[in-house]
Amino acid sequence: MSSSSSSSSLTCTKLTAWTLTAVFLQILGLSLFVFGFFPIKPTLSGVSGPESYQPPKCDSRQDHIHKTMLPSDQLRSLYKEISRIPSSFDRLILMVVDGLPAEFVLGKDDQPPLKARMEAMPYTQSLLSDGTAIGYHAKAAPPTVTMPRLKAMVSGAIGGFLDVAFNFNTQALLDDNLLGQLNSIGWKMVIHGDETWIKLFPGMFTRHDGVSSFFVKDTVEVDHNVSRHIEAELMDSNWDLLILHYLGLDHVGHIGGRNSVLMTPKLKEMDEVIKRIHLTISDDHHGQTLLVVVSDHGMTDSGNHGGSSYEETDSLALFIGLGYKAPDYASATCNAVFQVDIAATLALLFGVPIPKNNVGVVIAETFNSLTEDHQLRALELNSWQLLRLLRAQLPGLLCGASSCNEFNYARNLDISEFKGSVEEYLYCIFLKAASLHDYWRSMKGQSVRSNSSNDFHDTVAAYNKFLRTSSEWLSRTATNKPLGLLAFGVATMLISSVMFLSIQFWLNKEVHIRQRQYLPVSDKYSYNWHLDDSFVLLMILFLVFSMGSSSMVEEEQYTLHYMTCTFFLIFLRKSCQSLHGKQSPILFNSNKGRQFNYFRTFSIVLVLIFGRILRGWHQGGVNWVHFPDISKWLEKAGPHTTKSLQMVSGLLVIILSFFSLYMLRIKRMFLLVVQISLLVSGILVLLHIMSYQEQTLTGSSNSSNLVAQTIYTLLIITVMVVVLGSPWVMPVSSSTTYSSAEGPSVTSFLVDQDTWCPFLGLRASLYLIGWTYAVCWCLLQLLLQKPTNAMPTLLLLLQVLASMFYFSIGNPRHKQWVEVAALYFLGLAGHFSLGNTNTLATIDVAGAFIGISSHSTLFSGILMFIITYASPLLCLLSLTIYISMKDMNYLLASQNALFGHILQMMIGIPCVVPLSLNSVILTAFTIILLLMRNHLFVWSVFSPKYLYVCAATVSVYIGLSIVAATVTYTCVVFLFRQNMLNSTGNSSIIRT
Amino acid sequence: MPTTKKKKTTNQASTVGNISVSVSDAFLLHFLSGLGLAVSFWIASNIYSINLISDPIQTLRLLCIIQIPISILLHSIFRHNPKQCSYWKAVVRGVVGLPVGAILMAFGAVVLGAPVGIQFMMKTLYWSFLMSAFTFVPAVCVYGSSWMDWQRLFAYTKPIGVLDYIICIPAHGTLIGAWLGAWPMPLDWERPWQEWPICVSYGAIVGYMVGMVVSMVFVLVLGRGQSHSKRE
Repeated sequence: MSSSSSSSSLTCTKLTAWTLTAVFLQILGLSLFVFGFFPIKPTLSGVSGPESYQPPKCDSRQDHIHKTMLPSDQLRSLYKEISRIPSSFDRLILMVVDGLPAEFVLGKDDQPPLKARMEAMPYTQSLLSDGTAIGYHAKAAPPTVTMPRLKAMVSGAIGGFLDVAFNFNTQALLDDNLLGQLNSIGWKMVIHGDETWIKLFPGMFTRHDGVSSFFVKDTVEVDHNVSRHIEAELMDSNWDLLILHYLGLDHVGHIGGRNSVLMTPKLKEMDEVIKRIHLTISDDHHGQTLLVVVSDHGMTDSGNHGGSSYEETDSLALFIGLGYKAPDYASATCNAVFQVDIAATLALLFGVPIPKNNVGVVIAETFNSLTEDHQLRALELNSWQLLRLLRAQLPGLLCGASSCNEFNYARNLDISEFKGSVEEYLYCIFLKAASLHDYWRSMKGQSVRSNSSNDFHDTVAAYNKFLRTSSEWLSRTATNKPLGLLAFGVATMLISSVMFLSIQFWLNKEVHIRQRQYLPVSDKYSYNWHLDDSFVLLMILFLVFSMGSSSMVEEEQYTLHYMTCTFFLIFLRKSCQSLHGKQSPILFNSNKGRQFNYFRTFSIVLVLIFGRILRGWHQGGVNWVHFPDISKWLEKAGPHTTKSLQMVSGLLVIILSFFSLYMLRIKRMFLLVVQISLLVSGILVLLHIMSYQEQTLTGSSNSSNLVAQTIYTLLIITVMVVVLGSPWVMPVSSSTTYSSAEGPSVTSFLVDQDTWCPFLGLRASLYLIGWTYAVCWCLLQLLLQKPTNAMPTLLLLLQVLASMFYFSIGNPRHKQWVEVAALYFLGLAGHFSLGNTNTLATIDVAGAFIGISSHSTLFSGILMFIITYASPLLCLLSLTIYISMKDMNYLLASQNALFGHILQMMIGIPCVVPLSLNSVILTAFTIILLLMRNHLFVWSVFSPKYLYVCAATVSVYIGLSIVAATVTYTCVVFLFRQNMLNSTGNSSIIRT
Repeated sequence: MPTTKKKKTTNQASTVGNISVSVSDAFLLHFLSGLGLAVSFWIASNIYSINLISDPIQTLRLLCIIQIPISILLHSIFRHNPKQCSYWKAVVRGVVGLPVGAILMAFGAVVLGAPVGIQFMMKTLYWSFLMSAFTFVPAVCVYGSSWMDWQRLFAYTKPIGVLDYIICIPAHGTLIGAWLGAWPMPLDWERPWQEWPICVSYGAIVGYMVGMVVSMVFVLVLGRGQSHSKRE
């Protein structure tokens, strides 16, 4: 290295250290922000006890009166005595139908449900129309996935957004909840169905038969496993709570959507179950049994869930046999409550304290069969519980002797009109309700009927006002954020982002200096700012600004495709500059260059066309998702078309891999081994597609698992062998046994014939490794992705190849970082063409269980990540091919270049560019999320997108660390071998 | 860079051989093109009482009918090498180049995400003809199939001389305008003008007008510079 450049250069170690520091800072800032932003809900510890039947005091310490643990039967009678509400039911059957939208049973917008749906559930509809059953649209809070929703139902608390991340890692529910309360009064509980319950409440059930919700493609067995117990359980008398959790309907939705052909039979089956239970319990000799049918969440038209659209949050709560008859069909069906209200309602109905962190409000109609006194008592108990929860967040709530005079004049004062703090307002509306209640109680004895009824309604209205207001306030403050932590996190991320950008700037400068040194005529490559460079910046700017608008986030696939395509159109324009050889390269001036220019232009056109096909494959997004696209057409065309497309793509991937490996004309034996193993795994994948994909509807069989597992093993072994072995097998450059005739032919286009490339072996082995990565990744995707996604996988690979071809042959026309950025954006755009969107609903859960015989959260999580981030990771992994194909003669021209410098030049830019682009996007979106924290769509649009951005960051880390490790390892091996060779060569010379 | 230098000299020589384009010519050309646009919009709204939003196909057709002849006939006057190439030859060149440009424009639009389908075919067709009239036809009429000039204008965007500016800047303005005009399309505002190709056409027309104004400014500056140099 000459002194001039080394003075300005940053060494390899320095670069690594800086990059790692920036990465570390980014992770730190990100985790700080995530934990600060996503609410860890403020909870009261402990369990509600007898004190919940007494009004709350100013000081929370005065509340704890009974600290002695009573035995369950005594506790039961104590509750019965002090609650002063007679419990009209002895037993509860909680039937959970996973994913059943309330619309199917109750209709939408005050309209009865579709005729087909009504006919599918004749018994339930008859119950509704004669008033025996009352149904509610129980609005679920996002994220609408099973575990958080179950928690909300039994604890009445709204979980944090991050619960979704733990959905696949169910843990025991430690907060106060309904089941715990029932357990403490000695109830015996039985669960049949989703094993999430068993994980949430370990050891609480006397009998259980759990089914896993993870074999999503099975719609029959999961429900049969529940229903087969019903007969025996209904006869039995040794339970008080029976939970039946049916998963089949959710699975039907995941497979075929709302209007799946399997839906009507499944609804009929559910109706049959309800009929059986209701007929048995109505002439029951075990005591009064209440049947509650609930669903944890709804589903979108395509059958997915997770977001916060009406279709997904529209869950059902159906109370059958309350003893109170709804007057008509409309009043039995057109009711809207919140899902959290179920917990409070059931707790009061069954005479246990309401769970401590409940924010739900008791559903008033369910108490209509009780006397007015008891109804008011229920409201009072609910109010006391909410007051206790409020007191935890507003410490002065019950202590201030605030004057509530205003309330005596204005009857319906809104919170916005009230002059005073929130706590005063809440306390005042509570006091108003309480005083009305006292008044009503005092008047009761004097039996003035007409007045009493009026007073009663006033009291109920006042209580409801307090309950609703405080419930809303509590749900809102569940999202209170520690601003200091957030600011610190954002600042850290900003710093790391700036670090990445400056590293990239240094690297570019360094590369430029090197190129000027080794390429004498490189004015073409000058440090000028070109259109393509500025477009990258423009693109980032546009992307960042577009993420500030919720509909742009929802429709991000358009933005990314548009930008990436424009980017490649700019490349097309640039490649037109060199057509006709007018500006043909001077350095590698050959006839080949001229004809390559047409190929280069053509390859860009191919990238563009493939990109358009990919765009048309999945409509994606939220607003225009119903528009026709290729995948919908394929689904309509039937499985045969899809399957043949899958076969074609599989074959083409294999052929492509053969062709590309054939280009590498050295070490035929080793290549043959690699080819054979790729072929075998390819054939296995095709076999799996051929014979097992249909079986998935009836559950995964052992043999299909075996094949999938064999494929996994084979692919891993192939990759390991190639990565570890090929650097040792490929010829070292200075080897004399290696004749120059077959030498410089890594591929006919890879290396210019005239140029003797000293690092040929290194590049050949990197080329081989890169191809193995790409092909193995594609084969894996062909196995895992939805059947309609096979062709897009192939097209993505072809896109990457075509752009690689464009970048690597001929004279370098773009700065290296622009090329890497183009590949990175290709990956981002491809992410959406595999059917992903920025809502959590489109994550392909079904594919994550291929080849997994026993339920394993870890493995299915990994598979899910692999499926979702197929395209970005493909592009990142193929950076290995890019490094190998990139013409680096300028830096290898000096044989004695330092190892560190070579490494830095090889992996520096390909690694730093995606990192810095990603860090810009991540940081910008973090700031946007912070600004949008009060936006209406923050939980439905921005937060899911943020999770995607975080996962994309992880994918960048993973992909780049694989690339960097591979290249470093290969370089080290080659260096070692060259040194060995030199020393033996020297010794042999000495000997002779 | 010897090659470019050489090219520059040849180009300068060729501009000498051109029909000289004065500032007033350029102004007239742009004025007539703008007038054509104004007239076609006026006819659309007052005679047929249609507009781009309500009847995109008819309006685009009307725009094409008026704008294509204007573009071809006007630009053919300023053809390159007038001695070897008669006026009518240039017109024929423009007529032949029109569909070629339209195909290129349609390709670009579809690749960038324009919807494909029978119900969109006519819209895309008329839109691409209009785009071709704004961008491709002027260059074809003036330069024919001279690849070097095309490359200079569109691949390098290095216009030399008044004529180049007149062709190059409105064409780029049209392209950029159309590109920007597509941005509101995916949004969920549910406005009728978000349909393909309405807002893109608006963007293209606005871009074209802005391009003409900018090119006039350039021509004025350039003309003053040239007169200065002549005086020297």
